[in-house]
Amino acid sequence: MDYAIQQILNALSFGAEYALIALGLAIVFSIMGLVNFAHGEVIAFGGYSMVIVGTLLTRNPFLLMGAVLLACVLVSVLLERVAFRTVRKADLTTGLLTAFGVSIILQNLFLLLGSPRPIPATQFIFLDRTITLGAVQVSSLQIYETLATAVAIGFLLFFLRRTTLGLAMRAAALDFEMVRLCGLRANRVIATAFAVSGLLAGLACIFIMARRGSVLPHMGFDPVLTAFVACVIGGFGSLPGAVLGGFLLGAVEVAVLVLLPQSYGGLAQAVVFALVALILVWRPDGILSPAREKGDKV
Amino acid sequence: MNPSQRRGLLGSALLSLLILLIVGAYYLWGEAWQARILYATFVNLLVVVGLQVFMGNANLTSFSHAAFMGIAAYAAAICVTPVAMKAISLPDAPWGLNAFALSPWTSALIALGITGFLGLLTGLFIARLTGVGVTIVSIAILVIVHSIFLHRTDIFKGNQALFGIPKVLDLPQITALVILAIFGARWFRESRFGLQLRACADDEIGARAMGVNVYRTRLVAWVLGTMFFAVAGIAYAFFLGTISARPFYFNFVFLTVAMLILGGLRSVSGAVFGTLLISIGLETIRWLETGPEILGIQLPQMLGLSGLMLGVVIVGVMAFLPSGLMGNREIEDIIRPKRQETP
Repeated sequence: MDYAIQQILNALSFGAEYALIALGLAIVFSIMGLVNFAHGEVIAFGGYSMVIVGTLLTRNPFLLMGAVLLACVLVSVLLERVAFRTVRKADLTTGLLTAFGVSIILQNLFLLLGSPRPIPATQFIFLDRTITLGAVQVSSLQIYETLATAVAIGFLLFFLRRTTLGLAMRAAALDFEMVRLCGLRANRVIATAFAVSGLLAGLACIFIMARRGSVLPHMGFDPVLTAFVACVIGGFGSLPGAVLGGFLLGAVEVAVLVLLPQSYGGLAQAVVFALVALILVWRPDGILSPAREKGDKV
Repeated sequence: MNPSQRRGLLGSALLSLLILLIVGAYYLWGEAWQARILYATFVNLLVVVGLQVFMGNANLTSFSHAAFMGIAAYAAAICVTPVAMKAISLPDAPWGLNAFALSPWTSALIALGITGFLGLLTGLFIARLTGVGVTIVSIAILVIVHSIFLHRTDIFKGNQALFGIPKVLDLPQITALVILAIFGARWFRESRFGLQLRACADDEIGARAMGVNVYRTRLVAWVLGTMFFAVAGIAYAFFLGTISARPFYFNFVFLTVAMLILGGLRSVSGAVFGTLLISIGLETIRWLETGPEILGIQLPQMLGLSGLMLGVVIVGVMAFLPSGLMGNREIEDIIRPKRQETP
């Protein structure tokens, strides 16, 4: 029983991390149809800015968290301005390849200006303590992570449902031209989407840093690849789909780790990706949306 | 043969001439160490031309080519390596994999067969999907194959090198393969399937209404593409003598995709030009990366510069030249422009 609770908590915290990153991908995709592979490098940028601010300005972890969030938001908005604005009207493949290009550029910039070896940044490690709840031992980080994701989703819901800009963003996901005709600035709506996406990346960055305690140029790539899969499972561009996909993927990953014998641990990622491929063949548009006939009006 | 197929033959012949000129220049003025670079460029060229077959004609982005190349390279390497060598390099391989050795031709055929079968199997899934779906499933294939390479260290040695593969191919043979590949890809582009596939890329519903079997066309292109990757993988293993799992992953994928989109994915000539341009650029940058001395100034060592350039090329081409250098044109369209057809 305790073991089961332990694993469920594991699944929840894995899922929370994927959901956070997947939400960041989905919110951009829903509005401008861009698969933002550079999201992982926004996370890595958060890590590097933490190293810089942490050594130069302040060692106070809470101020540092603010700095990481701010850095991620700024770089995300900057990327939109510099790189993604030019491909806004282009088709999906162009956007995808551009995002890959941006991701490669940033990774190599980190390599060039930083170091190919991990740089330690341990200020957030204090979040990760072992707590004993009854008979179950849990990591405090897992609880924080699950709670923070829940709060972030709550705020996002509030923002999307109760503010004008949020309403504009929901409308933009349906029909961007119409939103512009109603007198809202396209640039502002898209910049907000990237800002929110950057904020979510910053949040994910804090938890990733608390777990790893060091930064690497390509540290964002694998989490984003998995989150990308989460988005796909849930239905690309759908925010509830991203959250559902994230938690589902966390559960699958923990289940694979528990069910497969220890020696097969290296194949966990392979099993997850195989499942995704099968889901896509069954439901090309994700679990939440049934397969459509080509040419149907949406 | 219809006019566009005749033009295709002309175009392939021109591209082959270019390849032969490069090889000739190497034999006349090149130094020995450049043979390796030229060979690597030609392996990349095989991959990029193969990518053009599916990505270019169907206008779908796929990232799994490195996986198929790896499968073929490993299959050929395991078949061809002598038993005495395998006793050292693969001491605990299962199923008697280290107890036999075949001739290079048989090994290559077996590798082609295995890769083709896997290509067909994955193609059955890929051909049903469109848009991002194809990209994601191809990434899934790449990740799955890579995890298996890393996991089964008893067969594939993971990140360590599988060594002792005899050197079977050299520059003349790969030149012949590249020329064959160029003719093959161009023939496919102008064939019935290629035309149908390009029609689907432009308007899938329209093509279907005209009686095109979208599913079958995509499947044919996908499997044909994997055969190109298989040939590239075999050529890679048969020249280098050692292989490991690391080169068959995302970095190589990005490199080849950058080559394809720089030249323009819709034409075979674009694939060839993109590969040659990026290879030349990369060699220059690799030299800069090591921190050489130019005009008496010692430049610092700069790791990551080549990757940076690849990224800049991808973003730059996508932003300013979305259809690449060549766009929809082939080499013969530049030399002898198409006459405007009167309706």
